[in-house]
Amino acid sequence: MRLRLLRLAAVTASIVTAAACGRSVNSPSSPAIKLTSAQNGRAYVEVTGLSRAALDSVARASLTPEQWSALLRVAVDDTAPGMLGDYSVAGDVLRFTPAFPLDPGRSYRVRFDAARLPGATGPAAPIVATVGQPARDATPSTVVTRVYPTADVVPENLLRMYIEFSEPMGRPSGIEHLKLLDEDGREIPGAFLPLDYEFWSPDHTRFTAFFDPGRVKGGILPNQQMGRALRAGRSVTLVIGHQWRDQYGRPLKEDFRRVLRVGPAEDQPLDTATWRIQPPAAGGRDGLIVSFPKPLDHALLMRALGVRREDTAVEGDVFIDQAEKRWTFAPKQPWRAGTYQLLALDTLEDVAGNQIGRAFEVDNFDTVDKSPNPKSILIPFRVASPGTD
Amino acid sequence: MRILRAKLVLLLAFVILASLSPSSAVPVVETGQGPALASIGPMTFGPDGTLFAADNQGAAIFALDLGAQVNGGVAGAKALDALDEKLAALLGTGAREVSVTDLAVHPRTHNAYVSVMRGQGAGAAPALFRIDGAGQIANVSLKTLKFQKVELPNAAVANTAARQNPRTQVVTDMAFADGRLWVAGLSNEEFASKLRAIPYPFATVDRGVSVEIYHGNHKAVETRSPVNAFVPYTINNQQHLIAGYTCTPLVKFPIADLKAGEKVRGTTIAEFGAGNRVLDMIVYKKGGQEFLLTANNSRGVMKIPTAPFASAKPITTPVESETAGVPFEKVASMMGVEQLDKLDDTTAIVISRSASGGINLQTVPLP
Repeated sequence: MRLRLLRLAAVTASIVTAAACGRSVNSPSSPAIKLTSAQNGRAYVEVTGLSRAALDSVARASLTPEQWSALLRVAVDDTAPGMLGDYSVAGDVLRFTPAFPLDPGRSYRVRFDAARLPGATGPAAPIVATVGQPARDATPSTVVTRVYPTADVVPENLLRMYIEFSEPMGRPSGIEHLKLLDEDGREIPGAFLPLDYEFWSPDHTRFTAFFDPGRVKGGILPNQQMGRALRAGRSVTLVIGHQWRDQYGRPLKEDFRRVLRVGPAEDQPLDTATWRIQPPAAGGRDGLIVSFPKPLDHALLMRALGVRREDTAVEGDVFIDQAEKRWTFAPKQPWRAGTYQLLALDTLEDVAGNQIGRAFEVDNFDTVDKSPNPKSILIPFRVASPGTD
Repeated sequence: MRILRAKLVLLLAFVILASLSPSSAVPVVETGQGPALASIGPMTFGPDGTLFAADNQGAAIFALDLGAQVNGGVAGAKALDALDEKLAALLGTGAREVSVTDLAVHPRTHNAYVSVMRGQGAGAAPALFRIDGAGQIANVSLKTLKFQKVELPNAAVANTAARQNPRTQVVTDMAFADGRLWVAGLSNEEFASKLRAIPYPFATVDRGVSVEIYHGNHKAVETRSPVNAFVPYTINNQQHLIAGYTCTPLVKFPIADLKAGEKVRGTTIAEFGAGNRVLDMIVYKKGGQEFLLTANNSRGVMKIPTAPFASAKPITTPVESETAGVPFEKVASMMGVEQLDKLDDTTAIVISRSASGGINLQTVPLP
């Protein structure tokens, strides 16, 4: 990811020197503290200007972490303990390698006490310095790039949303930044399910928000007490507050707002017989197109539909468009004439949680499926040579 | 991409139900030194001192041998105010950049181990600290630890393009019982709770048990209610898991019933109210009685005698009242508790958030 770096801040790599004590083990020159950035971007704090004898004495001494920290302390402020990292003698310098990368824009206080050198025999004034790396550009630039479902109309029993950002996001995150406003601009309280964990994609650019299933599901107590957050026939505005910060602590560039029209509850299970399959012609790599009568869950569409031929998965790429009502599969290898199968896992859902053959609302004691493993449903289709039926 | 508009082929409604492959156990174990955790927490100790740490970002569980890093501290754990600031200083950052993900007490030394994420977003890094009876904070160097790693099986996929849109898995809690590590988790797509038993030492990890419950407040059987926290507990000489769900049923599962590849229904023995989540729970003994102590997000800490668990009438019909089932009492003295563990037979250790938002480590007499 591209970082916008400001010019070096005043704290950057400042070097402060102080007179050394001049003992035999110390350098005749003045020790100095500096921040070094290696080619890989890793920053080290180094003490230069030490004599070979001083460096060798340190290398031989097998110092404990406490002794190291007393000799060379790198900390977030003057009263804080030394931060975690590794100490070493590297060539002609004493080096501290922080365990974690230094935070851009943060000042670190460094204290080198020559009197703590092994073999030092007298007092010496410690030298101190403030070092740091340039701050990042604080100008907000991260935006919400897409919210699924993408349809203008959503059912009133919508179960979840996927929110995608242009950059990885940070903390605090989650539903506190999400608001649903009614047609009068008033917030609809308690629409989203609070959780103590967050569903982020590994790169922290996609967040999953759940509507409170207790309110979504008809007839259960929260639903009876509060009703659904979405009401058919009305419109709501989803607002994603700009206060939501990206991983560098910058707020979003702007609020994200999207008006959703609310349609009737979607309470029917998926029926593969209603899908429209447009097979491609043999010999090419044009897409197999499957169209659905209603929008399906974007994430599950990516994973719960596939293509097989003779019990072997066909490799290819998936494209989803038309408000998640169309799934297109482009194979890596050209289609061959003959019979293929569209494979659908019964975990595939629409945006209201209805699965293949199982509506979201039918959980009850009488309809327990004893197997937690998904079933696969195979729907054959023929790929014909061009010019043939 | 150009899409061929082929003529619609009449489809025979020919649907085949076939079992997919994922019912078999999958050997996905790695052993080595210097575990590469992408994230850390939740955690739990095994009886031999093995620290089990979930890596939610990496969708894996690590068994960490703390080795000599267990030694050297004063036994016990001392309370520390402003724990987040102290950890941040050691991590070379500010308190805002520190997220405490879990707390676990070593079974022998009774030192507290705190898992932390430093930084934010995809660049956040895990760290582990030990806090001893003198209040000394020691970093546990992950890079020297011996480990076993087991990856959590991903859900079945129907196409290889699924990697374009990786599914998110979250481990909500872990506990060691009956020679196995029990892992509760769910994903953003299924959002159905799943319990997995992973025998230790790791060899294989199964596809897990789907668990469902009767949710009295919801007046319905739920498969999509998350298990937030659970503890092993023996009822009538039979090992159980006691699980706290979102919004807030308390459910018991006999371990013998939890067979991989099956769906089981737990017995709901209490409802602790809507708009609430169990954050953590422990079992302890006091005055000859056993109690379950739960930390909740909006209902504080609850003390629940466990004696009624065996004969508690299962809740299988709608609950009209705010709470129902086995009795409990609120512990008003414990506020803002986010993480909870038993420090010793008489003391709990908690991570709590102060009114100003700071994080404290506190020791509290078991109520």
